[in-house]
Amino acid sequence: MLLAALAAVSVALAACGGSDSDSSSKSDKASTSTPAKLSGSVDVWIMDPGSPKIQSVVKGYGTSFEAQHPGTKVSIEFVPWAQAHDKFTTSIAGGKTPDIAEMGTTWTPEFADEGAFEQVAKPPSGKYVSSLIDAATLDGKVWGKPWYAGSRALIYRKDVLEKAGVQPPKTWDELLAASKAIKAKVPGIYPTGYTGLTEHMYLPTIWQAGGQIAKQDGDSWTSALNTPQAATAIQFYTDFYKEGLTPKAAIGWEEPDAQTAFINGDIAMLIGGGWTYNSIIQTKPGLKSKIGTELEPAGPSGKDTAFAGGSHLVVFNGSKDKDLANAFVDYMLEATNLNKFTSAVGFLPGTVEGIKASGYLDDPVRKPFAEQLLDHSAVYPPSPRWGALEGANIFDGEIQKVMRGKQTPQQAAQNLAKKMDEEFAG
Amino acid sequence: MSTQPGQAVAAGRVRAPRPSAAERLSHAASKLTLPVILLLPAMTIIVGLVGYPLVKTIWLSFTDTRLGDLINGTSTWVGLENYKEVFTDEQLRTSLVNTVVFGTACVVGTMALGMAVALLLNQRLRFNWFFSLAVLLPWAVPALAASSIFKWLFDDRYGFVNWALVGLGFHHFQDYAWFADRNSAYVAMFVVVVWQSFPFIALSLLAGLQTVPRDTLDAAAVDGANAVQRFWLITLPLLRPILAVLVIFSTIWDFKIFDQVYVLAQGVPDRAADTAAVTGYREAFALGHFGTGAAIAVVLFCVLLAFSIAYVRLIGKEGRT
Repeated sequence: MLLAALAAVSVALAACGGSDSDSSSKSDKASTSTPAKLSGSVDVWIMDPGSPKIQSVVKGYGTSFEAQHPGTKVSIEFVPWAQAHDKFTTSIAGGKTPDIAEMGTTWTPEFADEGAFEQVAKPPSGKYVSSLIDAATLDGKVWGKPWYAGSRALIYRKDVLEKAGVQPPKTWDELLAASKAIKAKVPGIYPTGYTGLTEHMYLPTIWQAGGQIAKQDGDSWTSALNTPQAATAIQFYTDFYKEGLTPKAAIGWEEPDAQTAFINGDIAMLIGGGWTYNSIIQTKPGLKSKIGTELEPAGPSGKDTAFAGGSHLVVFNGSKDKDLANAFVDYMLEATNLNKFTSAVGFLPGTVEGIKASGYLDDPVRKPFAEQLLDHSAVYPPSPRWGALEGANIFDGEIQKVMRGKQTPQQAAQNLAKKMDEEFAG
Repeated sequence: MSTQPGQAVAAGRVRAPRPSAAERLSHAASKLTLPVILLLPAMTIIVGLVGYPLVKTIWLSFTDTRLGDLINGTSTWVGLENYKEVFTDEQLRTSLVNTVVFGTACVVGTMALGMAVALLLNQRLRFNWFFSLAVLLPWAVPALAASSIFKWLFDDRYGFVNWALVGLGFHHFQDYAWFADRNSAYVAMFVVVVWQSFPFIALSLLAGLQTVPRDTLDAAAVDGANAVQRFWLITLPLLRPILAVLVIFSTIWDFKIFDQVYVLAQGVPDRAADTAAVTGYREAFALGHFGTGAAIAVVLFCVLLAFSIAYVRLIGKEGRT
């Protein structure tokens, strides 16, 4: 089974490696036919979502690559997601970029628009999870190689739900009812951990309510948030806080704080990805038997859409050693290496074949994460301006104001639409 | 260039008759040459490190500059547009008010605590050397590390502060979320900032206290002045010059405070507790609006400049009386 999985992934990746070599044959030659020629050093920035495994796996890539190519030096630095966007902006503005970086999919168009990256050959369709290629595309050109993908789903404590006498919720109404039951019957634990600083938790509720985030018209985007659907979604999300179904401090939590709260047994239900699940059971193995998973609860429109997130590996324009940089990116994307990473960390490979081969679909607890990504996910508008909107957390402030009862969901939707349009207009 | 000093000597020799106006001018110029040459390396460094960023920031503040513009060197001149935004945009204006109010509170808190600790250390207590050393420790902790530590101390569920307060009988603080509200977040930030900045003030004031002549104080005591009177009427007036300098320093430090606010205020709803330095940074580096960010920096610079000038003039007056 494992062998078959590896074979499938390697086929998928060999194919994509082949397509790359058409256009960037120079770098491929450097990495395959004449490996001895590689020398120099590269700086690599990798994101760290708070998973204990990422650092050791990625550092392992560096040491084994250096061993295979004597005379090369790979320096890897880990950057927390929350600080990463600012750090990229600073480094690009100051002309001090790394050679290679992991780039959140929503940021790739933004920095590509500034001319920060080396172009990548367009891969054949059907190889990668299509949303990952869409997210890396700007003006018809591709600027990053998909590394991994993931979607958030619902992670819950089976034991707590049992004590409260409720079934795993499949819809918004069921989620709210389950939360109220937990609050009433299970002391010492909050039902949910809906934070004030995690747009990947609340923005998808707009899709679930039947709304849209933005509309594209030719090259330009306009916000679609000034709608009753968006207001319904914001109302739904913030009510958990207002009704005390989420800890008071959660208004200032980042996503890892919610994960920590779940690990500590402070919250019973969490919107999180496969990587969240892996982090939880690696940090506290005792929870493994108590955790269940489910697709994100469906909203009034019947949709249970989640955000399809993921990462690209990009090579910066300013890299002094592009051959070495490309070689290391390709090395990280080699089948065995990729598989080691995605399975340890809990992400899904960026290739369709890879996902099927990952075994996720056969594991009942992990299956919802894969299903969510393949069939129940969407991406935010791939506008070059989106990254800045995210980087500045323009959404959080408006959501937090609703949480605190300082404005209505309608006002929040209206303000957000205005802010988005200002930013889209540039 | 190397012949210039020689010329200076020659100019000195021909002074005997009456130097013409032109000669006097060249004499003055050559007298200046050596100092200028000697100062040049330092001037270059200062102009490069202070002058260039300052001029560039001021220039940026009058332009609409995005990340791409910064790379390609293309910016659009927009005049006072950015400044208009700084003073009309609610969030940006709030951040300026925050800076002034919170900065002033921190200066007052730091000076009060610093003075109290200095007075204590000035007593002849046993183990005084140990206390002087211990007082220095908070100053030695990097601001970012201290802020992260305090974030934990103020954590709602697992923080020491809530645990201690509940233990003391304040049950209201069970799971109290310090950073979920602007005012309570400011209380926490105030503690961190004052905790970190009082050591310098305390030790400087201690040095000042030790220069206060003992015999003056003894004479006052003989004349019947009690401890409070001696402090207000003798010690404090003698410390005034050093107090003025320390207030200027604290004001400048506390108004441009960044690390503590960056770490602690980021979860405060709607970023209502951000100070100007953090807002300027976010405007530039998170939103990519380098022009607006620069405008905030320039406004903050002007505020600090005004404070500095006011205090410098104050010191000047002190010196004359």
